[in-house]
Amino acid sequence: MQASRARLFKEYKEVQREKAVDPDIQLSCDDSNIFKWTALIKGPSETPFEGGVFQLAFSVPEQYPLQPPQVRFLTKIFHPNVHFKTGEICLDILKNAWSPAWTLQSVCRAIIALMAHPEPDSPLNCDSGNLLRSGDVRGYQSMARMYTKLAAMPKKG
Amino acid sequence: MEDKVINQNKPPLSEDSNSCPICLGPMIQDSYLDKCFHKFCFNCIVQWTKVVAGKHRTAPSSVKCPLCKRDNYSIIDEFDGSSFRQHYVNQDFGDSFILSRAHKYRLQCYYTEPGIVEDIFNISQYWKSHKYFQPNQWLKSWLRREIQALVQEEDVDIIVHHIYGVINTSLTRSEQKSHTKIPETKREEFKTSVSEAAKSFLTARTDRFTYEVELFLASGLNVEAYDAVYMQRLGWSSPGVTCGTSDSLLSDRPTVVPYLYIFDEDSDGNE
Repeated sequence: MQASRARLFKEYKEVQREKAVDPDIQLSCDDSNIFKWTALIKGPSETPFEGGVFQLAFSVPEQYPLQPPQVRFLTKIFHPNVHFKTGEICLDILKNAWSPAWTLQSVCRAIIALMAHPEPDSPLNCDSGNLLRSGDVRGYQSMARMYTKLAAMPKKG
Repeated sequence: MEDKVINQNKPPLSEDSNSCPICLGPMIQDSYLDKCFHKFCFNCIVQWTKVVAGKHRTAPSSVKCPLCKRDNYSIIDEFDGSSFRQHYVNQDFGDSFILSRAHKYRLQCYYTEPGIVEDIFNISQYWKSHKYFQPNQWLKSWLRREIQALVQEEDVDIIVHHIYGVINTSLTRSEQKSHTKIPETKREEFKTSVSEAAKSFLTARTDRFTYEVELFLASGLNVEAYDAVYMQRLGWSSPGVTCGTSDSLLSDRPTVVPYLYIFDEDSDGNE
């Protein structure tokens, strides 16, 4: 379908235009394939992800925007709604609550919001979910912060 | 969505204020959801409705607005100030006809001021010089595309047949009594019978349609040549047509901006 290509091209132009406006998100498109995108997002402040930079990989289907893009974390992250091994994200708008009015940019914003507000009752990472469900917020935060330091921050020295 | 508000440093592109939230392109055939009145391209919102319906075992009678999630029961289009069309969700747009590029260009012509190519195709000369003696063999295919674009249905055989018949009868009738009538009278008679025939199908677009029929007949061209001249005069680019004629008369005109934006300059023209 040409529709998905035309729309992705529009988003590409929009991203170029918007770059300075949203410093928390850096979206870029694969040079040779407009259906493959990556994003660098900043961990939201006042969360255990603060200070980290997380990489996301987008795989956009031909039927986009009628079908949602597939998104996963490439950077390791300790979060109840992200699969620890595969980086798969459990987020309603990427599944049945998808609307074609979402863009790759707004999906990034939704993922940043998810990082700040985990949903421990539908966990992909049970260890992380259980910590929060049992009320051990401090345990969750220190684990998450440790993985942020290990995986999402530039190595010092 | 609220995230669109922050972009104040955008160049003031006219399409931005009127772009479809689904394809992000200029709005083609504006249509509204009946409860929240959010606006989309007709094809975009119909396609989305079909995708949503495909996820349910029985097709739902409502669709959630992609922007506000409100339930809507119908899609409204062709609102022209006095009349509109209403399509109930999953009822009567089962196989909507998707307009081709050529159809879109013709439909868009109806949103421009008339008279743009009148100095090239001289209508009164057509009647005065009895040019209608030579039938235009491309009329039928031109009519088919015109009517498909206007009524947005693929199967328009009956309408085409009817209008085509009326046009031919009207032209030959004038032929028989041509010595008794002045060209203006013949022209008026022709216009009356064509608009009578077209009125019930084309409603508010009838007068303009009658005018466009005259224009096409007066041109004496085939469909491709006619399109090329029309588009060049409008200043719209068309795929496959190189503007080789460097007539100073044609080139020093400003580009015509229609009331509606249908063309998408970003989409590649090789479909």
